[in-house]
Amino acid sequence: MSLTPAASKGDRCMRRLAFVIAILAVLAVAAPSAPDAQETPRPGGILNWYVYGDPGRLDIHLESPLSVQQALAGIYSGLLHRDPAAPDKLAPDLAERWTASPDGKVYTFHLRKGVKWHDGQPFTSADVKATLDRVLNPATKSPRCGSMLKPIVAGVEAVDSHTIQIALKFPAAPFLEYTASAWCRIAAKHVLDKYGDLSKPEAQIGTGAFKFKRYERGNVIEWEKNKDYFIPGLPYLDGVKQFVLVGFPTQLAAAKAGRIHLWDTWPPMKKTDADELKRARGDAVHVYQVAQNTIFLAYMHTQKPPFNNPDVRRAVHLALDRQELVAKALEGAGVPCAVFDPKLSGDFALPLEEVQKMPGCRQPKDADIAEAKKLVEKHYPNGVDVEAAVRSVGNYVDRAQLVLSQLRKIGIRGTIKTYESAAGFAVFGKGDFVFLPTQDRAMVTVDPGDLFSLIYTTDAGSNWGKWSDKKVDELTERGLKETNREKRKQIYWELQRYLLSGSPSAIPVAWVEGFHFVDKKLRGYKWAPTVYDNNTFMKVWLAP
Amino acid sequence: MADQTGVAMGAASVKVAEGDRGRGIVGSLSWFAARQPLGFVGAILVLALVVTAIFAPALAPYGPKDAAFAAYVPPGGEFPMGTDHLGRDMLSRIVWGARLSLYVGLTSVLFGVTVGALWGVVTAYFGGAADTVSQRIVDSLMALPPIILALALMAGLGQSVTNVIVALAVLLVPTAARTIRSVALSIKEMPYVEAARGAGATEWRIIFRHVLPNTMATYIVLVTVNIAYAIVVEAALSFLGLGAPPDEPSWGGMLTAGTQALETAPWMIFFPGLAISLTVFGLNLLGDAIRDLTDPQLRGGLG
Repeated sequence: MSLTPAASKGDRCMRRLAFVIAILAVLAVAAPSAPDAQETPRPGGILNWYVYGDPGRLDIHLESPLSVQQALAGIYSGLLHRDPAAPDKLAPDLAERWTASPDGKVYTFHLRKGVKWHDGQPFTSADVKATLDRVLNPATKSPRCGSMLKPIVAGVEAVDSHTIQIALKFPAAPFLEYTASAWCRIAAKHVLDKYGDLSKPEAQIGTGAFKFKRYERGNVIEWEKNKDYFIPGLPYLDGVKQFVLVGFPTQLAAAKAGRIHLWDTWPPMKKTDADELKRARGDAVHVYQVAQNTIFLAYMHTQKPPFNNPDVRRAVHLALDRQELVAKALEGAGVPCAVFDPKLSGDFALPLEEVQKMPGCRQPKDADIAEAKKLVEKHYPNGVDVEAAVRSVGNYVDRAQLVLSQLRKIGIRGTIKTYESAAGFAVFGKGDFVFLPTQDRAMVTVDPGDLFSLIYTTDAGSNWGKWSDKKVDELTERGLKETNREKRKQIYWELQRYLLSGSPSAIPVAWVEGFHFVDKKLRGYKWAPTVYDNNTFMKVWLAP
Repeated sequence: MADQTGVAMGAASVKVAEGDRGRGIVGSLSWFAARQPLGFVGAILVLALVVTAIFAPALAPYGPKDAAFAAYVPPGGEFPMGTDHLGRDMLSRIVWGARLSLYVGLTSVLFGVTVGALWGVVTAYFGGAADTVSQRIVDSLMALPPIILALALMAGLGQSVTNVIVALAVLLVPTAARTIRSVALSIKEMPYVEAARGAGATEWRIIFRHVLPNTMATYIVLVTVNIAYAIVVEAALSFLGLGAPPDEPSWGGMLTAGTQALETAPWMIFFPGLAISLTVFGLNLLGDAIRDLTDPQLRGGLG
């Protein structure tokens, strides 16, 4: 099995990836991995985990919440994935090797043979084609995988039963990253044919290390060991239980009581929570700080008043005090105003010194608030009332109160309307809102193009505010096509400056950092650079 | 003639008022304090609540939603009750919370008990099939656990202060209807009602001029006792995240926020808890005293 793409263009792609990976490697050093060296994995046991809200519909290609990804992470496999033993690297999964054409526009993936779906049916290239055709179909709203692949993939062809060829519109630097995304998992053609979509629990037939056993709404999601998994000896665990724990106090109480082995998900703990946990569990847990690859945004609907007016959107950007929001809502664990976190994106992130001097991001806020107030008064002399929609997850309600408190200073008066997690996503996705004072969006990869394809382009899967800006679309496409790293960096810097000096619908508030923990009994767990990755638990085991 | 009879046979509360005549305010208060010392304490607490609620804008040092200060500042100095997790002054929120609690408690109870009273009086007076059916509806509503019914209503109506009032009023209607109906059943058999009927008064005139006014003593007790109940249920709904919107300074909502910082900021749970306890304690003491004073079986209270 070769992990090396044969062609030179492919090499260049991989070298570019290597840079990003190097940054992640630095992060991984600081991040935890349980003390598993030299130990023999012990089979058996159930891993207890938690999910912050009910996933609702389970279609991994059509949904975007982390709760859906968590519910299904161990069930499916991808062509590639992040190496469970070293999540900063890409590794083969269903594709045992791949090659790239000399011009970098055609990738050929050679698939594993003998792989079976959880219902016993054989896995073939027809399944890969059915999956990719599904997410690439212009009629399919695929907010994660589709958003990433549609702009760059021209077509998919099954060469034979175990070879698939993907043609690109242009040589795209992040293609392999996108293919390895946990949102681009391969589904079975016969299941798609039978059920039409993958929303229901009975449609969760994958090739992953675990089978989908049970989903009790509002209570628990269970996986059980796939004894026919294509890597002999894996997984070690008999199963995984995810408790649906809504509300931060419940989550923290479960962690303190030892009911969960792992907290590697959203929302991260704040420092006071982490300290509380350490006091409660002592040496039984390893607590660590992470940059979570998640951006805290405030969304405004650009086709509904008052935010259909760019001046009002600009006023919100100017008025928001990101430093205060980070200090109070994230207890300081975050990067205020950044479109990218330099810890994750390296020099693709606009230097923070420049960011912190820009209007709306700088301190003190007096001049920006005065300017924002003028902009609102120009169109709404008596101020304006807005409904602020908030999902009741994490500390969103607290964050929303802070945001509204800041906006009252410029005459925008908000009242909060709360939604259950999945219900909120359904409403936001349809654009049935005026203002979302807080909404985190986690990145699928660490490639800088991901953020724009996910949130800011006209066709972006999470462009909930229906913003359309030709310059952003054009620069995003140029960023994907550009193969020169320095030129690519300049494109993304221009995009970041444009967002921070303009009036987008999704205002960058901060990059979210925080604390995770792992129970020391849990061995083989490796922290991954995105919350979506390395949750398959195929190489994780429990010590007595 | 019929009207004069109705007044003459009127409620004990009227007699209380007559009994107080000539004592003056100070004398009346001394008499009340001597006869009902606990009720007097309750009255002071309730008076404090009312004054706080009315003068909230003047009493609160800051806006209840202004997250303008450092988070988790312990009580003392500039912030006598500390600040919360978002940097809001707890004292200001407690003061404004009094206004919200009293507003929700009073309006929901007046609305619910009034609707219930009208329902009870009308069905008691007419009797028959309508009374039987309406009582079965009351039975059905009373069979549901109150907090579950309130949660279901709030889940359906959505979070807003108005909807909290509606939900609480719905909870109170059946109890009020049942209680007032039992009083009205005995009143409608009274000779003055017979006399009014004999004098040619219409049924609606009898209901509104003779029966309804004579249920007022019970009505007042129901209102007083249920305000405390409504405040507690509002706090419970807000605590569970289905009451007033999260940024409203509701004592129940403050308790929820406090549970997230029990170890780091115990004052966040102590002060709203204290406010709820004192308010409910005061209202219950006052309600009990009023009930004793207006109960003909407890003559001692009347002197």
